[in-house]
Amino acid sequence: MFRLLVQELKFRRNTVIGWGLGLCFFPLMYIGIYPSVADEMAGFADLEIYQAMGMSLGTFADWVGSIMIVLLPLIAAIYSISNGTGTLAGEEEDGRLEMLVTLPLPRWQIVTAKALALAISSAIIYLIVSVVSLIVFLAIESQIETVMVGKDLFNAVMAGWPFVFAMGMIAMFLAAFCSSRRFASMISTVILVVGYFGSNLAASTKVLEPFEPFFLNTYLDGTGKAVIEGQGIEDTLVLLGVGLVSFILALIFFQIRKLTVGAWPWQRGKVEA
Amino acid sequence: MRENVIETQDLTVYYGKHRGILDVNLTIEKGEVFGFLGPNGAGKTTTQRVLLDVFPPTTGKATVFGLDCQKDGVEIRQHIGYLPGELALYSNMKASDFFKMYEFLRGENGTKDYWQELADRLDLDTSRKISQFSRGNKQKVGVVAAFMSKADLLILDEPTGGLDPLVQQTVLEIVREVKADGRTIFFSSHILSEIKAVCDRVGIIRDGQLVATQRVEDMFAQRMNRMTLIFEGMPPAGIFKMDGVTELERADKSITLEVRENLPGVLSTAAQHNVMDIETHNISLEEIFLTYYSKDNGGSHV
Repeated sequence: MFRLLVQELKFRRNTVIGWGLGLCFFPLMYIGIYPSVADEMAGFADLEIYQAMGMSLGTFADWVGSIMIVLLPLIAAIYSISNGTGTLAGEEEDGRLEMLVTLPLPRWQIVTAKALALAISSAIIYLIVSVVSLIVFLAIESQIETVMVGKDLFNAVMAGWPFVFAMGMIAMFLAAFCSSRRFASMISTVILVVGYFGSNLAASTKVLEPFEPFFLNTYLDGTGKAVIEGQGIEDTLVLLGVGLVSFILALIFFQIRKLTVGAWPWQRGKVEA
Repeated sequence: MRENVIETQDLTVYYGKHRGILDVNLTIEKGEVFGFLGPNGAGKTTTQRVLLDVFPPTTGKATVFGLDCQKDGVEIRQHIGYLPGELALYSNMKASDFFKMYEFLRGENGTKDYWQELADRLDLDTSRKISQFSRGNKQKVGVVAAFMSKADLLILDEPTGGLDPLVQQTVLEIVREVKADGRTIFFSSHILSEIKAVCDRVGIIRDGQLVATQRVEDMFAQRMNRMTLIFEGMPPAGIFKMDGVTELERADKSITLEVRENLPGVLSTAAQHNVMDIETHNISLEEIFLTYYSKDNGGSHV
């Protein structure tokens, strides 16, 4: 399995560099620009529209939370959805998975290696963005008023990774379960989008409050307080738990999947009478 | 008694309501080259995929090296080299890197000399990226990958597809070498000439059912020849009335015959009537099938 993991990581090398550098525009632009917009942002502190989007812009910590904890994981999750569905269903559809499953490798090792490669590659992307965020922060630190230190920002950015991991594993499970990559990508995207709007609406609408725990974004705290003090450990454990359960489901459904056929699990072949 | 490398019992695969294969009973012995002949969609690839545990059969059983294909898939695949019919490769790699990766993933060492030798014989430039290759060159990559491990069993799904005639001959030559080495090859194709060139036995599959298995020489001994004889002038009627010969068409100065036997008699009669030219027609796969179906109404020679 180690050999396959190494290979899977090699395959993702360029993607990791591309996404890592691409997502660096977030800290370069949004953190870098903060000193020049800080006064204006203070005026938006209590706007309901931003609150509905899970954002608060009053202080630098709030600003960082809104951008790097609320928005960045949404964008990074696109990588994990694309990679999670592509590595199983995508490779199955283009035929490369057939080459892999006809090697002397058990299927659980194939899924595990691919899941680890996805988790590691997304963590590296996050690491790149966190380091760049830290560098940008150190460059502007003297121009802003904040109680935050560089370590807070680094940790705050990295704290978004469990969400990206969970979305990646959900995407892998759906890729092993659905009949095609198209369905898997579609359902994963719906989970991502509904999770974002659902958690924000549930937080601000009494009638939706009972549904709040079902939205993944609920477990990402984008407030300035969370940026300084860190994400709740329970929330992080929930995200990691969702990722782990999804991974186990991916293992189970890939094990029984009729590869190359492109069928849902209930579409088993039946001999006609 | 020879050892069976592949054995299937009533192997049946349904894709939902659609039939893949039906009650396929097949045995392939150690050291033989078994040709699996059938038109597109007949069930050749489905049978091979079940043997490799790409998916399980709906009913029936398949064993390779005496091991169950579903339970012992990993152990079985250690001894199999496979060339899929729908070959898909990692296009961003150089061919040489692909072979190194393949060796690495199979947990093998020291295959470089052999894959390089195979690549040279097939005139494949391994320093180029796979994405730059034509379909034929990609097929060569697949062929080298299948053979490079010197596996005990090779499962090849239409291995000469997309290759030019010269390279096709090289591939068939490599198949003969593997056979001489005592290894086994399960070779699917819809090209009769290559089955005839390398296979010991042939299985004909049609609509998912194995309609015949027999030795290649027996199969071709029974075959029909179709020939058109062109004469200086039209010869008298009835000169080809002989056993095993049917006159199909008589035109201006030509006669088209179907010859099942008595070819020397046909040639000698033609020579006596100043034959100018003889055109022979390659027998099509469909015609072979029709021969089988017409021999006994059930269409089964198994």
